[in-house]
Amino acid sequence: MILFQNVSKEYPKTGFALRDVSFHLRRGEFVFVTGPSGAGKTTLVKLITMEERPSAGTVRVSGFSSDRIKRREIPYLRRRLGVVFQDFRLLKNRTARENVAFSMEVIGTPREQIGLAVPRTLAAVGLASKADHLPAELSGGEQQRVAIARALVNEPFVLLADEPTGNLDERVSKDILRVCKDINLRGMAVLFVTHDRSLLDDHVGARVIELDSGVLVKDTEAGDS
Amino acid sequence: MRYTPREAFFAFRRAPLLTALSVVTIAFALYTLAVFGLVWLNIERVLDDVAQRVEVIVFLEDGTDPGESATLMSELATYPEVDSIAYVSKDDALARARADLSEYRDLYEDLEVNPLPASIEVALKPGFRRSAQVREVAGRVEQFPFVEEVKYGEEWVSKLNFLQDISLFLGLVVGGIFAAVAFVAIGATINLVLIAREDEFAIMKMVGATPGFIAQPFILEGFAKGVIGAVLALVLLTATFSALEQRVLSLGFYTPAQIVIGVALGGFLGAVGSVLSLRRHLYGGTT
Repeated sequence: MILFQNVSKEYPKTGFALRDVSFHLRRGEFVFVTGPSGAGKTTLVKLITMEERPSAGTVRVSGFSSDRIKRREIPYLRRRLGVVFQDFRLLKNRTARENVAFSMEVIGTPREQIGLAVPRTLAAVGLASKADHLPAELSGGEQQRVAIARALVNEPFVLLADEPTGNLDERVSKDILRVCKDINLRGMAVLFVTHDRSLLDDHVGARVIELDSGVLVKDTEAGDS
Repeated sequence: MRYTPREAFFAFRRAPLLTALSVVTIAFALYTLAVFGLVWLNIERVLDDVAQRVEVIVFLEDGTDPGESATLMSELATYPEVDSIAYVSKDDALARARADLSEYRDLYEDLEVNPLPASIEVALKPGFRRSAQVREVAGRVEQFPFVEEVKYGEEWVSKLNFLQDISLFLGLVVGGIFAAVAFVAIGATINLVLIAREDEFAIMKMVGATPGFIAQPFILEGFAKGVIGAVLALVLLTATFSALEQRVLSLGFYTPAQIVIGVALGGFLGAVGSVLSLRRHLYGGTT
């Protein structure tokens, strides 16, 4: 799973993005990571994907450890993660189906398996009928669903959603959050990063990790508030 | 179609203008290289023709026993440098002189004694026509007591060698420069393609594609562009060549084997150009 042990991240120019952060995300858990912009939320996601390495402390993700992982092992770590971004990052010249299939093709999945998994995953995010649409022909919410389908199709153990609703209006944002909740109900862990605290209102009792200026100021699971 | 060839093929369809631009750049780069190569090849051909005339002429003393000259000839035949041997008797020499120097025919007609010596003309194999080698053979032959003189045009052989050296040196330097320019041009166009597809790289890295897997279609694409560019350069070169050939006589063109190598070189440059640009895009910055 994901384990942060006293993790700090310092950038040469901008200073500390994270300071002594520790938390543990277990299999199948749903956690909100919240805080104002600049709080270190994106750095936290980058540390999980090992796009960045901690300046101090250790990040452990599904058997990989930040202080031992080799560069050539990183792709295999990423195959266990599903990542969704604020700006969707879909390939514009490919249909929804092709965008989802792309993430299976580039890790060498056999075609028969792709043929089965892509429609099933698009159906799971409610986009079965728009499989042949290009991103430009889809609404923002639909595009984010394609991105979620792409993140899910390789069956990761966790979905990392980095401000997935940042570009969406309130109604669609709640929609996307519901999709993520559904995914979690099927057993996948979800780390949902958002600066929008109003999204949390409907989810009283959910675990919330709050960051401020790189410091973990609240983790409802740990009991401090 | 499998992922790698399909992606490489799609790249052509997705960005036809950029693809055409890179293919044409590659074609012109290779064309320039090929034109220079052809000029060099023809200079070499002329020098080779001249080099074929490098021979050692062994003049024999008058009255040399035919048995002795036969011994010398069979000895010469065992030299590794020797290509062919021809015996020119005194009579042959006189007949040749009469034919070659017709304006002095009368002079030769009135002779009571044949003043020309018998000789052995020794042609050397390619690769043994450098002046040092020729001198070596001449030196060995001079040891025979009935050999009066050995001639091999020392001065012009060393001039020829000098020209050959200059030509080889210029060929390597200028050819190397053109090849480097071709290589940079190919790399630059491939770089353009990669910049245009930066977002794809990001997604591939994000979902856990290995650098090798990401690279494959681009390497294939670079190879295909190199080959197409080389074929285009060949078409252009053939057109230039036939236009030139109508004015200048008897120019040498590349052999089929050299053409195949040239086209393969285009593909190779394209593939290597891709690899070098890819390294920057795949490994540059964060992973």
